[in-house]
Amino acid sequence: MDFSLLGQLLINGLILGAIYALVAVGLSLIFGVLEIVNFAHGQIFALGAFAMVALSNFLGLPYIAGVAASGLLIAIVGWLLYEGLLQHLKSGEFERGIILTLAIGMVVQNTLLATVGATPRYIDFPELYSRFEFAGMGIEQLRLTAAVIALVVLGGVWWLLMHTRFGMAMRALAQNPLAATIVGMNPKRVAGHAVILGMGLTGLAGASLAPLFTVHPLLGVSLLFKAFAIVIIGGLGHIPGAAVAALIVGLAESFAGGLGSTVLQDVAVFALMIVLLQVKPLGLFGRGARI
Amino acid sequence: MTALAASFKERAPQRYALVALGIAAAFAVVAAPVLAPNTYIIKIGIMTLIFAGLAQAFNLIYGFAGQLSFAQTGFWGIGAYVSAIGSQRLGLSPWVCLMIAPVLCLAFSGLVGIPALRVSRAAFVIVTLALTLLLQLVARNWTEVTRGPMGIPGLPPLSISIPGVAELDGANPFHFYWIALLLIAPLLMVLYAIMATRTGKILLAVNQDEALARSQGIDVVSWQLFAFAVSGAACGLIGALYAFHLSIIEPGIFDMYYTQMLLIIVIAGGAGHFWSVLGASLVFTALPELLRITPEWRLVAFGVLLAVIILAMPRGFGGFLEDRRLRQWRRRM
Repeated sequence: MDFSLLGQLLINGLILGAIYALVAVGLSLIFGVLEIVNFAHGQIFALGAFAMVALSNFLGLPYIAGVAASGLLIAIVGWLLYEGLLQHLKSGEFERGIILTLAIGMVVQNTLLATVGATPRYIDFPELYSRFEFAGMGIEQLRLTAAVIALVVLGGVWWLLMHTRFGMAMRALAQNPLAATIVGMNPKRVAGHAVILGMGLTGLAGASLAPLFTVHPLLGVSLLFKAFAIVIIGGLGHIPGAAVAALIVGLAESFAGGLGSTVLQDVAVFALMIVLLQVKPLGLFGRGARI
Repeated sequence: MTALAASFKERAPQRYALVALGIAAAFAVVAAPVLAPNTYIIKIGIMTLIFAGLAQAFNLIYGFAGQLSFAQTGFWGIGAYVSAIGSQRLGLSPWVCLMIAPVLCLAFSGLVGIPALRVSRAAFVIVTLALTLLLQLVARNWTEVTRGPMGIPGLPPLSISIPGVAELDGANPFHFYWIALLLIAPLLMVLYAIMATRTGKILLAVNQDEALARSQGIDVVSWQLFAFAVSGAACGLIGALYAFHLSIIEPGIFDMYYTQMLLIIVIAGGAGHFWSVLGASLVFTALPELLRITPEWRLVAFGVLLAVIILAMPRGFGGFLEDRRLRQWRRRM
């Protein structure tokens, strides 16, 4: 067995997993607090990538500043979406939430297609294309930077949720909405925070990955599938679960793709989800909605 | 009692008008190829038939059984690929493909439905969506069988010839319309029969209150599986038919676009209502074509409309009509 290949696949898988984790945690957060499965998540991701294109190609922002600014921009989009549309959903209207977010995704994606067009766009950061080489394994600086950003941001989110009133309110609302309301929390405000944070994270992920891909309006569609699989595997609404599942999926994909084929890569993720649902219908960590 | 009888008598002229309208509509549907001035119009007619069938299949699983399924596009894509691979690469007769597709989709939807329906409503939605996305990826990447993004072109025409009665050439869109009608009309009747009878009521009961339905001795999961499988088979059949209309199949057949069309038709029409969904399939397929809006802006408009309907009128046009009927009925009593 070629150990440097296995090591390479391991590294690729971990990096992929770290970035998936950002997207999946955003999805999980919105589901945990609002009980909305955000079907516009893929389009929000694409919007983040487009914000990055605009900020770096037209304003000339460096990578990290561009990623941070895009994340903020998309967080604002999340705030607008919550205030304008999502806050009108009542709890227990699960299908309505899906259809509403799907409609939002339709509008975002097709507006992008109609205005920006389907031509792929590129972002260049020549200074980030160097590779680190060691023991026959290599890693691009850009991928490494993206993964480090993902880990730092995830750490930040963890700290927010565990140690600030802002985050604890979200956890409380996800665990017991009634009790949270009784002790004086404003469910609408907290839900708004969850949408802002969740969408901001996804926009950030889109922006940090933008230089690795060609950016076009359908960018998020294939990612959405993986984000959903991750959230199901981790247990809907369970945030650490989503992060762990993201790593598992990243690794599974990297190994299936490296040792098998690209077809196997996608089938592996789906098969993992179906098998797991049979063994543990609530996902790896699922105990109902819980962050 | 007399009030009720009177109300029926009062409504008699309305009923005649409805029957007359129905006969006129049926006539227009059958005679469309004769009435249509050009190929463009008849192709819109074919798409309307196809979406009418698909929308009712989706209505069965979402409107009646209450399960929001994104797998219907997947089943329709499987049907289309059965036609393409069967007729073009294996050399089967197009009609054999049309028979294989629904059977395969029936089996496949059962296979997926059993694990998917066991879990929560949320997980069902996501599993069905993931299935469709996965099928698209497989169609794109499994190039040995599907030829990947290049697609499978050159499907043979779906022709039918009954000596002395009719000779329909599938390559001619005017004839294809009748062939499509020959398949879609019985399919719609079967679906209507399911929805309008006891089965439809059972499904609605399951949808409204699962626990209560179970307490009445209804085997909830079996009925949901039944609706999912019938709907899947119907989608497979329509997909197989659609393949012969397009005569080329590529992975775009699994596009979310079709799911979005089904959602706007069924939700604007009113989930759980047969006739208003049928009307909505005509409105949403034919109207944008006639107004000549570009596909992107059309979907933007549909997205906005979908958001407005789901927030302001979640039961759709059918729900609105039902409420109105109930109000009138109460007033008469």
